Amino acid sequence: MLRSLKGLLCRPLKDRGFALHTAAKDRVSSLLTQDVQTAPERPRAVFYTNENDPANHAEQHEGRLYSIPLDELKTVFPHGLPYRFQQQIKTFNEACVMVRKPALELFTYLRNTNFAHPAVRYVIYGERGTGKTMTLCHLVHYCARQGWLVLHVPDAHLWVKNCRELLQSSYNKERLDQPLQASSWLKNFKTSNERFLKEIKTQKQYMWGRRDRTEAGRPLAEVVEQGLARVRNASDAVGVVLKELKQQSRLGPFRLLVAVDGVNALWGRTTLKKEDKSPVAPEELTLVHNLRKMLMNDWSGGAAVTTLSQTGALFKPSSAYLPQELLGKEGFDALDPFVPIPVPNYSPREFESCYQYYLQRKWLQHEKAHTEAGKEELRFLSGSNPRQLDRLAGPL
Amino acid sequence: MALVGGAVLGAAGHWAVLSRSCGKAVAAPLFGAAAYSSVPAVSNRDGQQREASTRRRGRTPQFVRQHLPPRTEKMAVDQDWTSVYPTAAVFKPASVPLPVRMGYPVKRGVPPPKEGNLELMKIPNFLHLTPPAIKKHCAALKDFCTEWPSALDSDEKCEQHFPIEIETVDYVSSGTSIRNPKARVVTLRVKLSNLNLDDHAKKKLIKLVGERYCKDTDILTITTDRCPLRRQNYDYGIHLLTVLYHESWKTEMWEGEKTEEDMEEYIWENSRSQKNALDTLLRIKASENVSDVTKEELLASEVVKDYRNSVIALKNEGETEKNMSLYKESVKKLLNMQVLP
Repeated sequence: MLRSLKGLLCRPLKDRGFALHTAAKDRVSSLLTQDVQTAPERPRAVFYTNENDPANHAEQHEGRLYSIPLDELKTVFPHGLPYRFQQQIKTFNEACVMVRKPALELFTYLRNTNFAHPAVRYVIYGERGTGKTMTLCHLVHYCARQGWLVLHVPDAHLWVKNCRELLQSSYNKERLDQPLQASSWLKNFKTSNERFLKEIKTQKQYMWGRRDRTEAGRPLAEVVEQGLARVRNASDAVGVVLKELKQQSRLGPFRLLVAVDGVNALWGRTTLKKEDKSPVAPEELTLVHNLRKMLMNDWSGGAAVTTLSQTGALFKPSSAYLPQELLGKEGFDALDPFVPIPVPNYSPREFESCYQYYLQRKWLQHEKAHTEAGKEELRFLSGSNPRQLDRLAGPL
Repeated sequence: MALVGGAVLGAAGHWAVLSRSCGKAVAAPLFGAAAYSSVPAVSNRDGQQREASTRRRGRTPQFVRQHLPPRTEKMAVDQDWTSVYPTAAVFKPASVPLPVRMGYPVKRGVPPPKEGNLELMKIPNFLHLTPPAIKKHCAALKDFCTEWPSALDSDEKCEQHFPIEIETVDYVSSGTSIRNPKARVVTLRVKLSNLNLDDHAKKKLIKLVGERYCKDTDILTITTDRCPLRRQNYDYGIHLLTVLYHESWKTEMWEGEKTEEDMEEYIWENSRSQKNALDTLLRIKASENVSDVTKEELLASEVVKDYRNSVIALKNEGETEKNMSLYKESVKKLLNMQVLP
């Protein structure tokens, strides 16, 4: 059965995310497989979209995959992509992200934000492996393209566990510094926001110890350099950066997006211990303290998008995924009022897309995987859960 | 018998005596099914010889008793069961016409049948308490009972006139003594809606009684058994109820220190959520340069009421899809986010 296709059909090039001309049609891709047999060249499948700018993603792109150019990947996402997705990028040599409804919803909210009002907090929640972190990354890409300043904390859980060095903070005797985590975060922050750091100027003078200081009016890049050079001051440097950005986002020419993954770590418990073996509360850590201040809605000129994450959460049962369960009373009260955004498992169309993508990239090698029965089996076994599908497709 | 003699004899003689006595005991079952029927009066030596000569697989027994068919085959379907099992008795497979199986099955098999089934015999059975049997018991007891008052013909009327239910148990057993220490236990049940309690009194009473109150049925259950006599336990139970009632109406000084953790349900007024919402709204108004809006006005506005209801529902009822979507809508309205469809 031949269909009339608008547009050209080209062979897909396995190049670095090369955007192809394709027929963006709303048909079920089972018709497409017939098409594959009839047309001599393999068309770029319906589940791709060549709309690579997230700003133009709309309802009709839902369920489709768009690719991010790999060089952009290095600047926008120095940290923050899930590990398995990074491996997939290396294997397939392209970064394809699916456009899904929660992300589209967030785009509409962000487009219509009133930047004079206090920043709205959004909390993305959902069961394990449904795509919360990927939604956040999609959003970060969108904001980066739009020219926002992105403050991306890839996983707040990394700041409350497995920390070898805890120094007593020089700024406040009660608090504890984490030089390694702070310096690695500063490094990644620098790569993603180079040009902003040169333009934004500090408004106050900051003393680092007895000798160094940063005058008012110097670019923020100097503060970051100071933090990277003197690792002892890295946590305080992070605090200074956050404070400056918060104050200046209202007037400044830039928009600020605070993207925190695993925000429930900030109000949970830590596994860190002080030297006298007493447990450390999260508010005693400088990084956590400053980030909590950032997530208050007393600043304007941007938005804060956060994700709840159970994987990596400390002392929380594995079935917990709702905001109150993971944030606890303290966290909920701190983030209230926020807009909750649930992320569900794949819809049938999205599942179809993902399955066709794996097939087309020759990731599913099993001979039965190509059949209808194989597809149904995959759907049943994974329960349309993105992570499960990814793990199942691995050995096939 | 011979064991005592065995102790006196030497070691070898001891063993000889023991083996002879054991041999006597063992010889009988070797005759198979005839073991419990009349044992032939053969001497020990004779029996052993016969046993030796008939030692072959599947030894056919000398005396085979003809089994009578079990009684179950002669039972009619509409028989009077109460005469088969008039009292509590062991499970008799030949008297119960049910194809019951019980026990752990062997591999790829079924549970063992009822014939000779020790599991079925061990467990208590209620074959003597079938509905016709209970009917007969009631008919027999009727002579000792008085009439039920005709005015109390529905449950609601019973509850309205007699809100407190007292439960006591009498025990009868065949033995030398009519006393049973379990007979002194008295259970009092009352619905709190029948008591005259205001909001504070009800919360205090529930906190005082703790485990004894059931939220779903609103019933307070007091079980007393600390006194030796039933009448004393009943009096004590009534006394407890009276004391609880009066104490819950009083308000002590230290009750003013009740904190948020002690609250049974979430109250939005003076909570962190209210503070946050007001702060946010004030900031929004300040950014729009509308400065003369008072807190009371904000609190009375529609959006804040909506928000309040959704937060209360979320905290008290837990997080369901419906509650989360209500909360989302209310926050969107509160923060004045106009979203184009």
